Amino acid sequence: MTITSRFELPPDKQRIYDKVVKLEWLTIAYLVSAIFFIYLTLGSSQAMKAAWLEDLLSLTPPIAFLVASRFRDKQPNDEYPYGYHRSIAIAFLCASIALTLMGIFLMFDSALKLISFEHPSIGTVQPFGEPMWLGWLMIPALLWSAIPALILGRIKLPLAAELHDKVLHADAEMNKADWMTAGAALVGVIGIGIGWWWADAVAALIIAVDVLFDGVKNLRAVVADLMDQRPTAVDHSSIDPLRARVENEMKAMGWVADARARLREEGHVYFGEVLVVPSTQRDLLDNIETAQDHLHALDWKLHELVIMPVRDLEDDQLERAAHADLEEEGEAT
Amino acid sequence: MGPVARILALLVLPALVACGIPRDPEVTLERVTGGTMRVGVTEADPFTILEGDEPTGGVEVLLVEEFADSIDSEIEWITGSEEELFAALEVRELDLVIGGLTSTNPWSAKVTFTHPYLTTFATVGVPEQEQQGEDIAGMEVAVEKGTDLAGLLGETDAEVALVDDIALADGAAAVENWLLDDLGLYDSDVRLKESDHVMAIQLGENDFLTTLERFLLHREDHIESLLDREGAL
Repeated sequence: MTITSRFELPPDKQRIYDKVVKLEWLTIAYLVSAIFFIYLTLGSSQAMKAAWLEDLLSLTPPIAFLVASRFRDKQPNDEYPYGYHRSIAIAFLCASIALTLMGIFLMFDSALKLISFEHPSIGTVQPFGEPMWLGWLMIPALLWSAIPALILGRIKLPLAAELHDKVLHADAEMNKADWMTAGAALVGVIGIGIGWWWADAVAALIIAVDVLFDGVKNLRAVVADLMDQRPTAVDHSSIDPLRARVENEMKAMGWVADARARLREEGHVYFGEVLVVPSTQRDLLDNIETAQDHLHALDWKLHELVIMPVRDLEDDQLERAAHADLEEEGEAT
Repeated sequence: MGPVARILALLVLPALVACGIPRDPEVTLERVTGGTMRVGVTEADPFTILEGDEPTGGVEVLLVEEFADSIDSEIEWITGSEEELFAALEVRELDLVIGGLTSTNPWSAKVTFTHPYLTTFATVGVPEQEQQGEDIAGMEVAVEKGTDLAGLLGETDAEVALVDDIALADGAAAVENWLLDDLGLYDSDVRLKESDHVMAIQLGENDFLTTLERFLLHREDHIESLLDREGAL
């Protein structure tokens, strides 16, 4: 058996990928600056703390992306015969869990501040000599954390679809959603300013729910990928029609009586098996080889398909029926 | 609303509400202006000096009196232990607490401390100017017993000499910086501790907080001279 090829992306996609790597470095540099400015103006505002932690956590997808970019093209070997395509899923699993836990923590922390009537105190600072209210400095810090993120997110979103990169997609979504976090924090800070002490904790609560929502969404997505869920679009909104297309292409071949395919995602690309019932066994090996080349040319995402000739597909169905019987028996007892 | 409109809304909103910000949720500043300010005070010479139940002087007592004047407020002094005063401040029965408080005070989660209005330090004072910057290893240094300075000095290489009253000690002594000139000592540059002095107010009364902070931050030189005067032995 041949070992799978290490390269994932065709040259035009690779050019996009190289661009994205630069974008992700830019994202990290920008996020670090946003985190720094918010840290400087943190005060004792819970909403600022929530926005700060959110920015801190939104570092994880670009870092996961860049770490995985070092590993994903590594040569498959005896130990890892499927290559390293999936390294990114592991990084992303960790990030999703961190996000979820942080969301839960922030929710409790903020709710506690709200129900214990904790009034946030924001005093004066002297960054330019004259004393000024720290709240005024929070506003530009939050705007800096919102607007460039929104732009970066909008640039990355279509690239994620083009590269079929789910981590990049989650990253872009988080960047894009950052304006809401910053906006909520901004309302919280202005609330403190006009004497609504509760506005701060309420804003923080909204951010916490957003963080938790992000975490759970990403966690579900990455678990589905690790469970070899059927391939979907990067936003998990639709099923990838490639499987149906592979089956149809196979069935359309003269020597094929029937065919069934299954696919799974490994990082950017798909691996899969195609069971074929040949109508004739003449030139079977040649036919299979031609079919394989044809299928691989259909779409760059079809990275490695194994074509397996079988006598019929009924066995498969019989087996399923047997399983169903067993389950019924199990329920009856 | 498009993204541009949203961004504009974020920019314009602060400008619209810029007047009179920040405000007090519990209207402290409004109440004490032209009214009565309830000030808790606990003794901490030279920051607060009490005779019986009446504060008679000290840097912070004088500053609070000046601050009350500036907003046309009458002071009602309430004396007590630090814990009593903080407990009362937490439930909003006091407006302000003073008594040599520093920014590392563990009550910071329950009450609000102002921006530090003064930073002082404790040092080893040496009798000769030439000894400045010299190693204090093995040097006999006097320190008042039962003080944190005695403990801090114990961690250095100096030979600790415990005394009852630092004013009566001869030679090198571990003292707060405002005592150096009174004792005729020079700063050896050995820092035992630094203290950021603060006052305490209720949580979240940001208008009162910023007004008090502005008052204090504009009086740095005045505060130094008050300390020199009130801190004299």
